[in-house]
Amino acid sequence: MYIDPEYLKETSEKRSLDKTDQEIVQKALQDGVETVWERLAKQQPQCGFGQLGICCNRCVMGPCRIDPFGGEPKRAVCGATRDLIAARNILDDLATGAAAHSDHGREVIEVLLETAEGKSRGYRIMDVDKLKAVAGEYGIETQGKKKAAIAKALALAMLEEFGTVKNRIQLIQRAPDKTREMWKRIGITPRSVDREIVEAMHRVHMGVGADYANILLHALRTSLSDGWGGSMMATEGSDILFGTPAPTTTHANLGVLKKDAVNIVLHGHNPILSEMMVLAAEDAALKKLAKEKGARGINLAGMCCTGNELLMRHGIPIAGNELDQELAIATGSVEVMVIDYQCIFPSLTDTAKCYHTQVVSTSEKSKIPGATHLECHPESALDTAREIVKLAVENFPHRDLQRVRIPEKPMKMMAGFSEEAVRSALGGSYKPLIDAIVAGKIRGAVGIVGCNNPKVQQDYGHITLGKELIKRDILVVETGCAAIASGKAGLLLPEAAGLAGDGLRSVCEALKVPPVLHMGSCVDCSRILMLAANIAKELNVGIEDLPLGGAAPEWYSQKAISIGAYFVASGVFTVLDIPPKIFGSPEVVNLLTAGLNGLVNAAFAVEPDPVKAADLLEEVIEKKRQGLGI
Amino acid sequence: MNTVMVRPEKCIGCRHCEIACAVEHSISKTLLGVISEDPTPKPRLHVEVGPGLLTFPNRCRHCDPAPCLQVCPTAALCRDVQTDSVIVDYPKCIACGACAMVCPFGIIQFDKTWQIAVDRQVNTKCDHCIDRQREGRIPACVEACKTGALAFGDINELVRTSRSDFTFKVLSAPQTEVELPEIPANIRAFRNIMKKITAIGILRD
Repeated sequence: MYIDPEYLKETSEKRSLDKTDQEIVQKALQDGVETVWERLAKQQPQCGFGQLGICCNRCVMGPCRIDPFGGEPKRAVCGATRDLIAARNILDDLATGAAAHSDHGREVIEVLLETAEGKSRGYRIMDVDKLKAVAGEYGIETQGKKKAAIAKALALAMLEEFGTVKNRIQLIQRAPDKTREMWKRIGITPRSVDREIVEAMHRVHMGVGADYANILLHALRTSLSDGWGGSMMATEGSDILFGTPAPTTTHANLGVLKKDAVNIVLHGHNPILSEMMVLAAEDAALKKLAKEKGARGINLAGMCCTGNELLMRHGIPIAGNELDQELAIATGSVEVMVIDYQCIFPSLTDTAKCYHTQVVSTSEKSKIPGATHLECHPESALDTAREIVKLAVENFPHRDLQRVRIPEKPMKMMAGFSEEAVRSALGGSYKPLIDAIVAGKIRGAVGIVGCNNPKVQQDYGHITLGKELIKRDILVVETGCAAIASGKAGLLLPEAAGLAGDGLRSVCEALKVPPVLHMGSCVDCSRILMLAANIAKELNVGIEDLPLGGAAPEWYSQKAISIGAYFVASGVFTVLDIPPKIFGSPEVVNLLTAGLNGLVNAAFAVEPDPVKAADLLEEVIEKKRQGLGI
Repeated sequence: MNTVMVRPEKCIGCRHCEIACAVEHSISKTLLGVISEDPTPKPRLHVEVGPGLLTFPNRCRHCDPAPCLQVCPTAALCRDVQTDSVIVDYPKCIACGACAMVCPFGIIQFDKTWQIAVDRQVNTKCDHCIDRQREGRIPACVEACKTGALAFGDINELVRTSRSDFTFKVLSAPQTEVELPEIPANIRAFRNIMKKITAIGILRD
């Protein structure tokens, strides 16, 4: 389709920051493929009641809404005020996000159990040291015991974190005493993962209290059961099964797709199947078949957090973040896109229909009409993975070469900075980092996390904020889409230290690490918590005392609400760019952006301008430094 | 003269008015009924997006004299004197589009409607809900609006508020910031944020 080149250029630049993404945005426009940006435009205007959080669609006395300008109606049919409605809505969203992370965690631990019991095929316990260390935390005897026995006991103990009998989460003990005391004081110590989420669902029912602050406190408690519970189990369980990440070098952006190889994109969040895909892609018979079909090999590329899991542990290149899922297909070069769950556009199979791409769904929880469903079960996952690779290889001849365009240059990047890897890069102790912070070479650290959102130019928020912070000698640690954005932009290279301030640059150069550290997938925000906890413990303070910040510059997901909330509840000031759906209630806004300071020594802020967001973060970091007397 | 006055500063883009309009112009007059009707009734006013993601419900002003009515070659457009409304005599409409060319507000649209037995598109612009007005009820869009962005009544009564707002602004001491009608601080904050977002995304002005 002919489209005015000026329009193409301008539109692609508006949509995405990265040049390779812009190239494929233009191709998608020329090919007439509907993408997330077209759908956003068609949704304008978006409902103000919804955006302000003062629409309640829970029961059938409603749906109800409140006049945001102070007129009537002031109350829902049940009598709920704008404050109660906004608070219930945000709790509901947060619980959804916590559930998504935690259910992912549960599945990993279930695979650990089945592996320990010898019921799974293809899975092995890769990190025995970590298995023993975590088992030790749970009071499991490891001396003289076989790893399978330890793993079974640990998996059962971890699955109990979801239950209600024990009524406490073991991993919470990893937080510094002072921080845990703070939680206890205000009554937000989480009791179990499922319990907090179920209770959240209970509390959003009509007639379960009317105090918005009480609802928001439960939201914090639920988020803590995610960050220090469900997500942390997802991280630890995956490390035990698949190995704890160590620094590795790989490539990012759509240029990692190959012109002459079978391209399989692994998209979603859970590494359970994709780990088997890594094994299956090495299968000699399948490699031979690929050659027979005219391909030079089988190329695995990651997408979103499944991609992050794989690149952290195996250095598998990553094709992009959330808004790249349609663009990858629009390169015309993807034989199969394998999906597990979360952040997968429901329209993806329609996008795939524009090319030869087949979408393969693998989770019983996440089926899409039009996809080939090959369900992943631990006992047969390796066979399923081989079947998927075969499907992709056989699809290779269907690729229409006339419609293939792959960007030229993948960007080199470094990843694999697990908490253990950071510690080891520092020589085994946090002391050098603490010394650099005390000396002021590094002013503090900020975790940039979260998604893409088509309302913001793709990656603009992440990259502008990241660059702004390192320039101010603030170390940046990242997960999720934010980390992939930085990979594409070249910030995950030791050479990027040249963009940092003198202090941070000297530290990065000495350690040969980038100024922005890729710490993993979105459940791996738990690694950021552990980093903070271990530094706080070494200083004998709480996390809330440390010169830290958090930011979700392009967030869209309920999971990001949960992450933001457990950062704040753990004492880390956090900036969002897109306003959460609370602005219809001045009271809720006030509690979350100011009132929380008195409870957890941290709060949220909303600031779309990344430079101003950096100002806010720097201000808090300097204040906390003063508090520590440094 | 009764009219629908729009206060754009109070519009939040929920599109309740659009849905209520479509329901009002259906056979069943119910939301669930509308879904299965053929032709599907469509809204006759439109909530449009402007700078900074602010929204404006654009609707027929029922002008007098009305340019559309003046140019209509078949006299399909006529005035309902009782309600001061410009209405369409559907069978007479030849869908020539002349009315749409001269409409200063761009609100004329052509569509099939159950209100004419013939299977063709006609001018289905806002009819000012004259059926409702004759029953002493206000237009459906106004009834649906929960923020006060749409108000129905005598034009001189409705402009009185705007007039006093203006008077207040003019007579306030210079340098003082007067905002009328007063927008709550939280809503102002939200709008400022959304304006910034338009600067860094695709929803640019």
